[in-house]
Amino acid sequence: MQQAGNNNKAFSLKTRIKRLKRDINKWSVFTLAIVFFLALPIIFIGVELFAGPGETWGHIVDYLLLDYIWNSLYLVLVCSILVLLLGVSSAWFVSRYDFLFRKQMEWLLILPLAIPSYIVGYAYAGFFDYGGSMDLLFRQLGLEFMRIDIMNRAGLAFVLSISLFPYVYVSARAFFLNQANNLLEASKMLGVGELKTFFKLMLPLARPAIVAGLVLVLMEVLNDYGAAKYYGVNTFTTGIFRSWFSLEEPQTAVYLSALLICFIFALILFEKWQVRKIKFTSSKTNSNQIQRKRPKGAMKWLIFSVVFLPILLGFILPVAQLIYWAVITASTVFDMEFIMISLQSFAIAIASAVITVFFALVLIYFSKWSTLTTIKNISRVGVLGYAIPGAVIAIGIMIPTLALDKWLINILGNFGIDSGLIINGTLLALFYAYAVRFLAVAYNPIDSTALKVDNSIPDSSKVLGVGNLKTFFKIDFPLIKTGVFSAVILVFIDVMKELPLTLILKPYHIDTLAVKAFEYASDEMVMEASIPSLFIIFTAMIPVIFLNKLLIKK
Amino acid sequence: MLTINALSKSFDKGKSYALENVTFNLKAGQVCAIVGESGSGKTTLVRLIAGLERPDNGSITMNEKVIASLDKFVQPEKRKIGLVFQEYALFPHLTILENVLYGISKVKNKKEKAQEMLDLVGLSGMEKRYPHQLSGGQQQRVALARALAPEPSLLILDEPFSNLDTMLRTQLRNEVFDIIKKTEVTVLFVTHDTQDALSVADEILILQKGKVIQKDVAENLYVKPNTLYVASLFGNTVHINKNLQNAFRCPLKEDCCHAIRNEKIIVSQSSTEADCEYITAAKVIKKIPLGNATQLVLKLESGEQLTVMTQDQNIADTIYVGFNSKDILEFDQEL
Repeated sequence: MQQAGNNNKAFSLKTRIKRLKRDINKWSVFTLAIVFFLALPIIFIGVELFAGPGETWGHIVDYLLLDYIWNSLYLVLVCSILVLLLGVSSAWFVSRYDFLFRKQMEWLLILPLAIPSYIVGYAYAGFFDYGGSMDLLFRQLGLEFMRIDIMNRAGLAFVLSISLFPYVYVSARAFFLNQANNLLEASKMLGVGELKTFFKLMLPLARPAIVAGLVLVLMEVLNDYGAAKYYGVNTFTTGIFRSWFSLEEPQTAVYLSALLICFIFALILFEKWQVRKIKFTSSKTNSNQIQRKRPKGAMKWLIFSVVFLPILLGFILPVAQLIYWAVITASTVFDMEFIMISLQSFAIAIASAVITVFFALVLIYFSKWSTLTTIKNISRVGVLGYAIPGAVIAIGIMIPTLALDKWLINILGNFGIDSGLIINGTLLALFYAYAVRFLAVAYNPIDSTALKVDNSIPDSSKVLGVGNLKTFFKIDFPLIKTGVFSAVILVFIDVMKELPLTLILKPYHIDTLAVKAFEYASDEMVMEASIPSLFIIFTAMIPVIFLNKLLIKK
Repeated sequence: MLTINALSKSFDKGKSYALENVTFNLKAGQVCAIVGESGSGKTTLVRLIAGLERPDNGSITMNEKVIASLDKFVQPEKRKIGLVFQEYALFPHLTILENVLYGISKVKNKKEKAQEMLDLVGLSGMEKRYPHQLSGGQQQRVALARALAPEPSLLILDEPFSNLDTMLRTQLRNEVFDIIKKTEVTVLFVTHDTQDALSVADEILILQKGKVIQKDVAENLYVKPNTLYVASLFGNTVHINKNLQNAFRCPLKEDCCHAIRNEKIIVSQSSTEADCEYITAAKVIKKIPLGNATQLVLKLESGEQLTVMTQDQNIADTIYVGFNSKDILEFDQEL
């Protein structure tokens, strides 16, 4: 009885508060501060909603909103179907069968990720354009009437799918390679055929992995600005840009952003629901790889074509088109200014990668040291930026920083100082935005390597009299170096490719390769866009290959 | 030296307790073993003492200073406690010498001190190696040297031998405690193996489901166990339930629980030969030779089954088993 009384008391409000007072430490406070800092853009969008919509909001609701919603739904639906077809089939074939160039194609299938979707869009637009390669081919064949118009909604869906399917491919392949072998053998022993095994066993089991990849694709689809703009399709993102730049109505942009956020959270809920509905426990010891089958005859060629097609469409064709254009335009584009822009691009990408990784490390370790479990859960909020489209984050940063700058200018003006904009339109705002947007990209690889370090290792450092920070530098960091390194590379690639956020927030006098390519394309100089595009692709390609090697080694 | 008072820890906000109202004392220089099954709360207790977890209730006092309570918490790095983890937790990217130096970076003559510790555990000459280049037993000794180097006032060993095979285990256990004896440090030694505890501990504390069941010297735990569980930890024990009481015609106190140690059960070929108060005839159903003894599965006259051990090689098909009242262990019913 006395014990029960004691323990009831242990969780009474009074003792809980006492414990909270004992357990809250500087790390808890820092973690909360950082999460708040990273969530600020979204909080501002929420707050700004209360200021009411802008003047044109009524016009947008009447004439454009339905278009935005309908187009976004169309893109989500069509892209889902296409990326599932391309991603899952290729992942299954390279995991299950052995065929000509299988090893090479396994990593070639990841390469489309190195090309930003808007660049794939430019290439295909040129390819199918009047006088483009396809047009010439048809004319050679006497099929002039066969011109395919790609500059529409369907074309956009195709372009986005062909450049984003690797997200599904990578997660599905990881599942097939690591988890499937025992099940496959069991299915074989039970006398079930190949097709039935795939549809009845592998596909349902791989669903959580596939859905996870699919949600990443759809987030990118909704994030896209460059391709949709070029193809003349009205989406939420193009709407946000139009309200901001053409209509100069921030409030309308805020309302569209809020709607887009709701759209995305519905997607995330869908994923959670899908994964919860079928939470499979997979044996972790199952590390033996799939025994690959060797297909024969027509089957061999069929499989080869299914796997080769996405590589051809997603990488070879667009790159070939870009190289062709690059050769034509090299003399006009490649000058001192271009080299400067490349260097700026590199410097910005490296700096923001380092800053973002710093935030990820701080968030992971501060929340670990805070000892309060609630803080650990809250810290996950900081990672949500990846779900928020770049344009939305940019608006969420633009509005408060403009207000803050106005305030600062006023104050400094009182002292007779003409400061100009301090935060807005500077690299500071840009780095901040990249950190918010790409935190998850840095967080995940670091977190997963950190999880592999047994807790007893940093614990024994502490017991030996060494504090948290010193333990981090002497023990944790050397053990998670590879995770940190891949995080830097991944963020670097993403920043190199990023367009919408950069377009809104970049300082006036600074350009990146992505912005340059976009500007050329917008000025009807799509051929000239090829050289900056190729630069982005090749800088992104090397790390993609490198990371794939790391992935295989794991 | 160490006082634990009403210590409680729950990992699910009070729905269940990993550790509940644990209270005990540890005298300086003592070796105390904490024995319990997995899930009994041993590791939680150790982590609370080391400062790697925070108590939900109760307090921990070390050398007259409160190091953990509801409103006070001393960080693990300030507690001067040495801890050897079950999986050793050596820093994989540091050499053996660097591992041992790690906790004494502010000490004068740290190099000499570290060397001294490595000599003590018999690993001199291996300073430049990395943990993965050592055997399990060697890693164990590095962990010990590393924990002892800062001269902690309390050394905690958390199941240090559970990763080793039986042969190596006994040898290493003796070696480790020979080393520890030389340092005169107070030791808390966690194990699920009673043999480990019996062979080195001055006192043994038994944990079950997060509660302290008994804390005593080894002899008393054997002679006067508090519960059937404690009794069975130190040797095979037969619970004398109602049916057995009837079979042996030995009426026992109603509201108590009784047991007899297996080695106190007397096996004989005839009823007259056996010198015991309670006796019954039994049929041998199965003989299992175990080398130095034979295990017999018996069916008593009453139909009850009983398993006993005997040194006797020639066992007839029908024998007599019995015991004396002085050997009966008695516990409170609820335990």
